[in-house]
Amino acid sequence: MPTALTGAMACEVIKLRSLRSTWITTLIAVAFGLALSLMDVAHTANAWPHMTTADRAQFDPVGDSLSGFAFAVLAFGVLGVLGISSEYTTGLIRSTLTATPRRTLSYTAKTLVIGGFALLLGELTAFTSFFIGQAVLAKQHLDVGLGTPGVLRAVSCAGLYLFVVTVVGYGLGAVIRHTAGAIAALFALVYLGYGAAKAVEGWSALPSKLMLSNAADTLGQLHPHPLHPERTPSLSFALFDLALYLALALTCGAWRFTRDAA
Amino acid sequence: MKRPARPGIVMDVIRCEHLTKRFGRKVAVDDLTFEVQPARVTGYLGPNGAGKSTTIRAVLGLDTPDAGRALVDGVPYRQAEQPLRRVGALLDAGAVHPGRTARAHLAALAATNHIRRSRIEEVLALTGLADVAQRRIGTYSLGMKQRLGIAAALLGDPPVLIFDEPANGLDPEGIRWIRSLMRSLAGEGRTVLVSSHLMSEMALTVDHLLVIGRGRLLADVPITDFIPAGASLEDAYLNLTESAVEYRTEGTGH
Ligand SMILES: Nc1ncnc2c1ncn2[C@@H]1O[C@H](COP(=O)(O)OP(=O)(O)OP(=O)(O)O)[C@@H](O)[C@H]1O
Ligand SMILES: [Mg+2]
Repeated sequence: MPTALTGAMACEVIKLRSLRSTWITTLIAVAFGLALSLMDVAHTANAWPHMTTADRAQFDPVGDSLSGFAFAVLAFGVLGVLGISSEYTTGLIRSTLTATPRRTLSYTAKTLVIGGFALLLGELTAFTSFFIGQAVLAKQHLDVGLGTPGVLRAVSCAGLYLFVVTVVGYGLGAVIRHTAGAIAALFALVYLGYGAAKAVEGWSALPSKLMLSNAADTLGQLHPHPLHPERTPSLSFALFDLALYLALALTCGAWRFTRDAA
Repeated sequence: MKRPARPGIVMDVIRCEHLTKRFGRKVAVDDLTFEVQPARVTGYLGPNGAGKSTTIRAVLGLDTPDAGRALVDGVPYRQAEQPLRRVGALLDAGAVHPGRTARAHLAALAATNHIRRSRIEEVLALTGLADVAQRRIGTYSLGMKQRLGIAAALLGDPPVLIFDEPANGLDPEGIRWIRSLMRSLAGEGRTVLVSSHLMSEMALTVDHLLVIGRGRLLADVPITDFIPAGASLEDAYLNLTESAVEYRTEGTGH
């Protein structure tokens, strides 16, 4: 059914797939995440017979099979940033807004397309990484199935985390309207924020519990057995974190998007 | 493309009512009121920084006016249902992503207004870009980008067309082509608004003139009434805008 929204979404789909940077960033995000995760589980599977009990206690069949995404997540964020910041840096935004002058319509269309793509890509790579990891771990009979309690939650939440970081990048791109600036802000939020929150733990553990990376640790592992329980959010707190970042990114992005573009 | 006329609203008319736009303390457009009528080419003239592009951005809903309003068919552009089918605009050749091909760029725009795919090939052929449509826009020359901007403006076959300095970077053949294009668009009964600094070009192209200086309207007249006998458009224009020029070069005074 052709409506204004489907038209605007079709435009966003064409824009997304007609750029080489989309494909390169996607490839890097997926390949990097899968490769690092695979190396991690392959090492564990090989070293297992010689590992100490303490080391074995740290092993997480799900979390380890997804560990590469702690780094590859940045590529997802960059995908989100580029999806909107490049419109401003290139000047394309003037064409976009001339074709779809209703700001809420164009923002909704763009958000649905980029968010939908990130969610699909995030879940797809999380499940792929999980299954590859389990195939490797099966050699030592360390693998788990999706039916094991907590496994489905951990894998799907790992994909959800990739989606949320993409949307956070998207929101930053919308607010900052500048690719390099938005990527720097994303990097600060995801990585440097972790260290900053750790530094103030003497006063309050709340900032640490609000960190995206700590939320991802809780959500993406089978048995959250944190080394530092004081800085690790509970499962429900971590889900709240994701929802909070999602809502903040989309709201700030929407607010800025409806302001005039230079 | 016949539409039912709404009572009390003149179709295909661009109308600015007391339009005012400030950037900080700078008043870019100052209480502008005018109408652009169909079936003729209206030239929009004024010195650098006079506020021509700002007016056009306000008409397209890209800049929010501080006071007054800009309407097409009696409604603000931002409320238009399928705006590309109502108004086609060339703002500047830079409103593109250099990494995309011309065909993909036009396809994305066409999708928003459910414009048939074959129309993309038509405007590519019309603007002479058919052979390079699969190349990334980043590899285009200024004139080729300008042609792409004109192709985008024509995409929705709109009854109202706005061109901001369309001759920018065009070769002589291209300049002649855009002139005859604008003449034939007006001949078909469409509304054409064009800004330019090329006086001899404007003298050949436009029927009506809007002249602004420092954001204020200086003239709104048929071109025949604007040029005194024996003078050129350039003479008449320079006379009128003499006091409104902001960025004057040194040593070239007459
Ligand atoms: N985004 C902006 N921020 C601040 N000032 C602006 C902005 N856009 C335009 N201006 C100012 O508004 C005034 C009008 O600019 P505008 O681009 O409309 O002029 P113009 O008539 O199109 O000039 P030109 O013939 O050089 O294209 C100028 O003084 C310009 O510096
Ligand atoms: Mg201008």
